[in-house]
Amino acid sequence: MPIRKPWLEWDDAAPTKGLPGAMGVYELADAEQRVIYIGKAGARSPFGLRGELFRHFSTPERLARENWTHPRMGEPDLPSIAGRARYYRFEVNHMYYSRWVELLTRHQEDRGTLPPANLEDPEPRPRLGRYHWKSEEATSGL
Amino acid sequence: MDFELSDEQRLIIQGVRRFIREEIRPLEAGLDPDAYQLQARDRERLVAMVKEMGLYQMDVPVEYGGPGVDAVTRTLIAEELSQHRAGLYAPAYGVFGSGPPAQLYAGTEVQKERYLWPSIRGEKHGFFGLSEPSGGSDPARAIQTRAIRDGDEWVINGRKLWNSGADTADYGVVYVRTDPTKGRQGITAFIVDTDTPGFRVERLVQVLRAHYTTELSFTDMHVPHENILGEEGGGFALANDYLSANRIPYSAACLGVAVYAHEMAVEWAKQRVTFGEPLANRQAIQWMLVDNEIDIRTGRWAALAAADLAERHRPFRFESSMAKLLCTEGAGRVVDRCMQIFGGLGMSKDLPLERWYRELRIRRIGEGPSEVQRIVMARDILNVRSGS
Ligand SMILES: Cc1cc2nc3c(=O)[nH]c(=O)nc-3n(C[C@H](O)[C@H](O)[C@H](O)COP(=O)(O)OP(=O)(O)OC[C@H]3O[C@@H](n4cnc5c(N)ncnc54)[C@H](O)[C@@H]3O)c2cc1C
Repeated sequence: MPIRKPWLEWDDAAPTKGLPGAMGVYELADAEQRVIYIGKAGARSPFGLRGELFRHFSTPERLARENWTHPRMGEPDLPSIAGRARYYRFEVNHMYYSRWVELLTRHQEDRGTLPPANLEDPEPRPRLGRYHWKSEEATSGL
Repeated sequence: MDFELSDEQRLIIQGVRRFIREEIRPLEAGLDPDAYQLQARDRERLVAMVKEMGLYQMDVPVEYGGPGVDAVTRTLIAEELSQHRAGLYAPAYGVFGSGPPAQLYAGTEVQKERYLWPSIRGEKHGFFGLSEPSGGSDPARAIQTRAIRDGDEWVINGRKLWNSGADTADYGVVYVRTDPTKGRQGITAFIVDTDTPGFRVERLVQVLRAHYTTELSFTDMHVPHENILGEEGGGFALANDYLSANRIPYSAACLGVAVYAHEMAVEWAKQRVTFGEPLANRQAIQWMLVDNEIDIRTGRWAALAAADLAERHRPFRFESSMAKLLCTEGAGRVVDRCMQIFGGLGMSKDLPLERWYRELRIRRIGEGPSEVQRIVMARDILNVRSGS
């Protein structure tokens, strides 16, 4: 099952408080709304989904201005994300780990590969399985 | 009757305990708290160490190349293997070898060549396909997936639910109705390759634990007659034997988690001071620790008694059901008490307790719910056979 939420365009001026500090999963997309990364805000994410999304999108100036001092927030982003991510969608989910694996598996089955930034991601991931069928989204060429 | 471990058992247990504490637990610090697999390089290194210890694939019988560890010692080892964060569902992250599904030992030489040996070598993985959307407690009546003979093949149509690992498996042992007039004798086990046309993983089903399970559909799936495992109509008996035997390590894994949680709680109770005294000085806490110990010891004795009967080829169905009931429910209570002793910390993902709490809840359902274990035992007591 995909994340059933519309894509949202990142607004660097909007306050981040509207984003949940909870655990969950998220997807980032480029200007053509192609998924470039499937991420999770796990138990070790210092600010949950809010922190993970902000980390990918925000500028160093905004990080400094808003005093996000946690070392995780200043980490350089993966090359396929930096400067390319424009849209995001997320799902608050306590079972973030298995849901993350589910989203990765679906993407791999549909597209034959993982999103570009996941291929660069050093985060260990478990062996992904097969569905033996492609989703409607993939077969309709979207 | 001898409750003493032999010198050899003691040595093996000490080695396994050291391995879990020194090799597995430190690696978990770098993993997501819900992770269930190691990185490939760590896995390979640890498998080599286990082979060196002579304990790799210890569930594999000696005649198939296993190290020949008896059932009682395997149960003692299983209790050690789960004593880490991911240990309940991924004991030692599988580096001791997970072995083939035991039903495959009933296979033909061709089936052994195609599925059993590659599984022992770790090249292929299988899943267990019994439960369906129509029910899992009473598969003899609930199985609706149908196979109809067509020359040298069978055509299978239907759905399965909750089949763990089916998305990553190369094949599954799938239980299907071949004769709707015959009740439990109308169920046959087939070995099904997951790349057979018509086989689909409809969805990954998210549950309480870190690892999802699956829902499957079979649409006009053609399976050769030679893929019947055991006798035509003998599938139910095959599944029952497998489930009875598997309840012993299943129980021991629950115990291991309870032991580790209890150890953590004992240490914490000695350190944590409230109202001017360590928690350990409070009778309310002492009684929780005593109740933990009682749950752990009764579960352990039941599991070992079942293993001892299995080792001596005596009937053990009653005992393995009793062990499953005592260990799954007892371990759940132990972890719950430990969370209470830890207070807020017990609720957080900083400690493994919350993960075990979720996973242990599933253990009262998986591999036959508690009610089914009681039904199995009641049948033995009343000497009735149900369903035909
Ligand atoms: C995470 C997970 C993994 C699983 N993995 C697998 C797998 O790999 N392969 C597989 O085949 N199955 C698997 N299962 C399925 C599991 O074995 C079934 O869920 C279980 O057997 C119960 O079946 P059910 O869910 O259909 O419940 P039902 O059979 O519908 O029963 C519902 C409840 O009623 C109770 N009940 C039933 N009959 C009676 C009675 N006569 N008296 C009193 N109470 C009764 C049951 O105990 C249960 O609590 C898995 C399940 C889970 C949750």
